[in-house]
Amino acid sequence: MRWITEFPYSFNFDNKIIDDFVRSFRDTFAVIFDGIGDGLNAMLRGVQSFLNFIPWWVYIIAIFLIFWKQQKKLVSGILYAVLLSLIGFFGLWDLMVITMSIVITSVIISLILGFPIGILVSKSDRLDKIIRPVLDMMQTMPIFVYLIPAVIFFGLGRVPAVIATTIYAIVPLIRLTNHGIRMVDEEVVEAAKAFGSTGMQTLFKVQIPQALPTIMTGVNQTLMMAMSMVVTTSMIGVGGLGIEVLRGVQRIEIGRGLIAGSAVVILAIILDRITQGLMKKEEGVTNE
Amino acid sequence: MKKLLSFIMSLILLIGVAGCTSTNEIVFADAQWDSIQFHNAVAGFIAVEAFDYDKWSELSATTPATHLGLINGEIDVHMEEWADNIPSYADDLEAGEFVELGINFDDNFQGLYVPRYVIEGDAERGIEPMAPNLKTVEDLKDYAHIFPDEDDSSKGRIYGAIPGWEVDEILRRKVEYMKLDEQFVYFNPGSEFGLASAFTNAYENGEAIVGYYWEPTWLMGLYDFVLLEDEPFTTVEDFQAGKTEMPPMDIRIAVSNDFYERDPEFSEFLSNYYSTSALISEALAYTQEHNVDFTETAKWYLRENDSMIDEWLDSERAQMVRDALAR
Repeated sequence: MRWITEFPYSFNFDNKIIDDFVRSFRDTFAVIFDGIGDGLNAMLRGVQSFLNFIPWWVYIIAIFLIFWKQQKKLVSGILYAVLLSLIGFFGLWDLMVITMSIVITSVIISLILGFPIGILVSKSDRLDKIIRPVLDMMQTMPIFVYLIPAVIFFGLGRVPAVIATTIYAIVPLIRLTNHGIRMVDEEVVEAAKAFGSTGMQTLFKVQIPQALPTIMTGVNQTLMMAMSMVVTTSMIGVGGLGIEVLRGVQRIEIGRGLIAGSAVVILAIILDRITQGLMKKEEGVTNE
Repeated sequence: MKKLLSFIMSLILLIGVAGCTSTNEIVFADAQWDSIQFHNAVAGFIAVEAFDYDKWSELSATTPATHLGLINGEIDVHMEEWADNIPSYADDLEAGEFVELGINFDDNFQGLYVPRYVIEGDAERGIEPMAPNLKTVEDLKDYAHIFPDEDDSSKGRIYGAIPGWEVDEILRRKVEYMKLDEQFVYFNPGSEFGLASAFTNAYENGEAIVGYYWEPTWLMGLYDFVLLEDEPFTTVEDFQAGKTEMPPMDIRIAVSNDFYERDPEFSEFLSNYYSTSALISEALAYTQEHNVDFTETAKWYLRENDSMIDEWLDSERAQMVRDALAR
């Protein structure tokens, strides 16, 4: 009667087969991985030195101006500037810049890859059927599972972190680009074609502009998901704000964890509001 | 249809209830590394065979979380408390939050390691010695160029300890004190997983790496690494300032207050319990080589070290363990 409560049979699968396969895969394509790694490293260095080049007070003034203009209230400009300077007051400014460089690089790569993929998927129902479960898998597979191959392929540091973050964060961008283009009114597309637009013209002059609010929602979500990876990627040697959270967890120091965590939240809120502001602007343009 | 469904549901419930007989269970802390799981298996085997426990189980969590679990009484026994890595350990002990029973082993090593082939080369794998005169931490200054940092190629990279561990701060001070920071970047590996994968990758590719590690661990058992020598240990203050080598830590066995009251006899056994780094490494290697679980390893270990059983247990219980092993 044991088979009722316990699964009756399990075979001894040798996980080593998968390990060895991944390792030999790495060795075979080492040149490609090294190339990708070097390219990403150069890009990261560019983003980081740009972010480092800007002095701290320029950030604060810029944030003040952006929110003052965006929300048309002096108070909100001051509020967000104060929030940002709080990160500096807690001595986390440099860590924040590192975190930001990872997040921004991941979002840029997500845009470069995700936007065209989203357009392609929107043009083909069959591709849509194939890619949907892949996207589901990318999002639900526990993140640690692909941190391991990322580290095997690219070593420790910022490169595997950007790759892991991109895999996780690219999904909403593809989904919403696809969705946005498919949701464009059939009649509008037909009208464009009736006026003699080519397929490309319809896509770039009618469908994408119409879908832009939805696509911008995707960008915003991609950004937020990249932010949520900050702590996880710190586990593979990125540093940044996540490392402070990890230290707090490792030492049961509630205060340290909470302050670093709050800094992540502040950064996320600011980035979220900025992209949402862009979104509203786009909506305003298309509604006119 | 509805009737069938409710019949099936009640059947499932019935089976569930029948399966739920009350068990007398002992819970060990599993801080997720090999040696603690091995000790859990040994002590768990003895708990089931020689004491009145129906089964033993493990609660898996991080180092600080298992420590908290012990204080809260969710965990009965912690076989490896790395006291020096838990900042609140001394305070908690003094406040009587848990009971410390003794030292499991105290002959472990930690410090900066390099693969043996970096110093001696490896003819079999065709690796030339890269740093033939590397013996001490001080010597690293001459060899910064063979451990290049990925981000800053003008410097070398020293893989640091796990962030949040006490030793991470000490090692950082050591790098500054010895002026290694002029040639090296102290790289934060982020986690145990990060550090282990950096070491594994470097070793399998025959590359040079220098970084913090500790023994006994499966990684040090599996690969051939050399601990770099350092100034001998003098005082705790000097060690904390990063001036000396890292002394071995006392790895302690602790139980929750609740468990200590509930089962003084098993606590007595735990306070007799001991092992050594060498024995643990042997057992971990046995596990790896024969691809068995820790329960099998525990049985093998007890058979191999038969005399320990008498040191740990009274003659009656020792006999019960031996009978179980003979089965």
